[in-house]
Amino acid sequence: MRPWPALVLALLGAAVPLVQQRIDARQDRWRAQAESLYVGDGRALRRLLPGFEVLAADLYWLRAVQYYGGKLAFEVGQPMPLLAPLLEITTTLDPRLEIAYRYGAIFLCEPPPRGAGDCPAGLRLLEKGVATEHLRHAWGMYQDLGYFRFLYMKDAAGASRDLMRGASEPGAPPTLASLAGSLLEKGGEARAARRIWKDLYEQYPEGYLRDNARFNLRRLEALDAIEQLNEVGQRLVAAGQSRPKRAEDLARWGVPPGLLRDSTGVPFEWDEARDSYYFGRSSEFWRPR
Amino acid sequence: MDGGGLRRVLAVATNTYRETVRERVLYNLVFFAVLMILSGLLLKELSIRQDEKIVKDVGLGAMEIFGTAIAAFIGVGLVSKEIERRSLYPLLAKPLGRGEFLLGKYLGLCFTLMVNLAVMTAGLYLTLAWTGRRLDPALLAAVWGIALQLLLVVAFALLFSTLTSPLLAATCTLALVVAGRFSDVVRNMRELLPDVPAWLPTLVYYAVPNYRNFDFKAHVVYRDAVPLGDLAWASLYAAVYVALALGLALQVFRRRDLN
Amino acid sequence: MNDGCAIVTEGLTKSYPHGHVVRHLRPALRGLDLRVERGEIFGCLGPNGSGKTTTIKLLMGLIHPDSGRATILGQPVAAQGWRTRVGYLPEHPYFYDYLTAEEYLDYAGRLFGLDRATRRARREQLLAQVGLARSARVPLRRYSKGMLQRLGLAQALVNDPELVLLDEPMSGLDPIGRRLVRDLILDLRRQGKTVFFSTHILSDAETLCDRVAVLREGALLKAGLLSEILDLDVAHVEVLLASVGPEALPAGLGPAERLGERLRLRLPESGLAAALEAARAAGGRVLSVQPVRQSLEDFFFRELGTPGKEESWTVED
Repeated sequence: MRPWPALVLALLGAAVPLVQQRIDARQDRWRAQAESLYVGDGRALRRLLPGFEVLAADLYWLRAVQYYGGKLAFEVGQPMPLLAPLLEITTTLDPRLEIAYRYGAIFLCEPPPRGAGDCPAGLRLLEKGVATEHLRHAWGMYQDLGYFRFLYMKDAAGASRDLMRGASEPGAPPTLASLAGSLLEKGGEARAARRIWKDLYEQYPEGYLRDNARFNLRRLEALDAIEQLNEVGQRLVAAGQSRPKRAEDLARWGVPPGLLRDSTGVPFEWDEARDSYYFGRSSEFWRPR
Repeated sequence: MDGGGLRRVLAVATNTYRETVRERVLYNLVFFAVLMILSGLLLKELSIRQDEKIVKDVGLGAMEIFGTAIAAFIGVGLVSKEIERRSLYPLLAKPLGRGEFLLGKYLGLCFTLMVNLAVMTAGLYLTLAWTGRRLDPALLAAVWGIALQLLLVVAFALLFSTLTSPLLAATCTLALVVAGRFSDVVRNMRELLPDVPAWLPTLVYYAVPNYRNFDFKAHVVYRDAVPLGDLAWASLYAAVYVALALGLALQVFRRRDLN
Repeated sequence: MNDGCAIVTEGLTKSYPHGHVVRHLRPALRGLDLRVERGEIFGCLGPNGSGKTTTIKLLMGLIHPDSGRATILGQPVAAQGWRTRVGYLPEHPYFYDYLTAEEYLDYAGRLFGLDRATRRARREQLLAQVGLARSARVPLRRYSKGMLQRLGLAQALVNDPELVLLDEPMSGLDPIGRRLVRDLILDLRRQGKTVFFSTHILSDAETLCDRVAVLREGALLKAGLLSEILDLDVAHVEVLLASVGPEALPAGLGPAERLGERLRLRLPESGLAAALEAARAAGGRVLSVQPVRQSLEDFFFRELGTPGKEESWTVED
């Protein structure tokens, strides 16, 4: 090609990304608004795509997963307003997409920064699923309902009802019924919680959700340790000693080192506001009151 | 039709197939194959535990969309193009009946589409194998449904192309596909619009070809068994409609002046 | 209807819808009565738009007449039986450009039900006859207009037809091609076949046709032997002289035209001797003496008047 036209073309080609950057800079201002666009309404979409609802559901599921993952990776702690609508559309387009209900519920129920922190929405999603003809008899859905109702909403009685419902469905493991029972026992809740997280840990494949179950399991173990530390602390106070601010100082009184830190190695500390020992500020298990 | 007629139909059909091959109609297959493989590999990473289903959904959906688009656009060109370019004149001067010509064109294009579909199916299975999945023969039920749909689309494309210009014919063919997909809406109109006399939506419902009859994709992906009876009835429906469309096309074509 | 005729038409009429918003019918052919005998070369003449192509398309069954009827080789047009014995070349033909000439002729042969050996033999023979043997394997999209025209002739003869209809067979051909086609047509007659062709090139008709029909605006003006239509006695003589001026010639002979150094005279036959005498006496040379008979062109100008704004015809293309 002759030099002049080639030069002009090269300049035009270089101009494109430059202009695009300018546009991006301007539009970042209203990117937050742009988030809510193009989500649409599930029933309307279903109407528009006869024959391709299942495919569209797949794509919306992908969108939901990417949205959730993106928030976790790049906007930690930010609210996730679009998660529930995306999952709603996904399950409206394809009511049989079991995974969208179950994993979607976890994404919704987990408190920030690991989830949307909207457990009622998560439970509503699962309830929508068991109302459908196809999933009415899926014991796994009832299991998740019970688990999440108990773990996040602390509603042991309601959870027990869900688990019993699931236990009567074909293919349900016997543990469901026994778990339902222990939830109703006094003091059985802590044990039940541990069992549930362990069960979820074993159910999920390698990946984020499994890590999440492991995280919660460790958290519960740490909370047990904290209880024991609190007992030690109370005995000290009763004996007229002062309670040490840092849990590590309790080693003097023979507390085993395993109880002094959480599983990531961050030592516990006395939290005045909670009136209890609690996770260190730098620990990943720490949560604001 | 006697033996000579059959030979002539086959001659037209083979020539039509040769045309589509040489006009590189089937190059879309390459595009499709790339799309398939990319989707299989990419979606595995993007999703949680849905990769097999998504690959199947994308694969079957793409086969249906690509196949329908090709069926409509080339089917339409079959007769319109020949008339516009007058390539039809020397042919019809020979002992080739107009019906034999139409039938040969139809068969040639159907053969092309079936080859197309077979290659795309193989591509889908290959992608599934590549991502380490079991090969599921139940997919073929959905493929058969798509094949029926394509046979019907071509027949209508042929009919419209005997009636009007290529662009309008393509639009009408595709509009009919869309309308056929929304046939349940039409059927429900009886309840939605109580003022309209009941026979009208019923008439429209039976007149518009119901493409939902051929849609077994969701069944197959969720591993519901597709009863052989369903497939058989759907095939019968397609056969009847194809005969209707071709028959109408022949009547129009016979009377038409070639200008 | 007379069985001995190749083509007979009675009152053949056809109109086309015309106009976009308001459609009215424009007559393309009005009550055509025609008779083509077997074994003759019949020319259908007329300016563009006179109905020649419409006639041929009606005969081939590509369009349907409003009224009237026609028979081909004794059978009505609607009967398909005659098609195995007829060949047709349309105007501005288009063949599938993704095929080669060989393949197209093979396809044509299959439509006639010829077996493979026959198809191959006919292919080779015809391609040689029309001078396309070397380009047999070239895709038709690379063919020039003239080559396509010659292929068109070949496909019209695949079945060794008794009757051949050609619509403007000379169009798009260079002089060599035209000579080839002319020879081919004469050869067909020698084989006893009938040739019906339409043209607006008058000289072709003059050289080839036994009988002609002259159409104008869809109506038949005259039909018959060329000798009947034209007055074939010598109309005048054209003389070409050199080195002599018009002043040397006797007055009142006829118009004289100066062409550079030469002089062209148009004289009645009676004045020829006097002119030659005078030229020789003045020291000039006689270059040529050409008797001119009435041509179709003259006939046209006389019968049809000067061309209307929609019409056009030519002597030589």
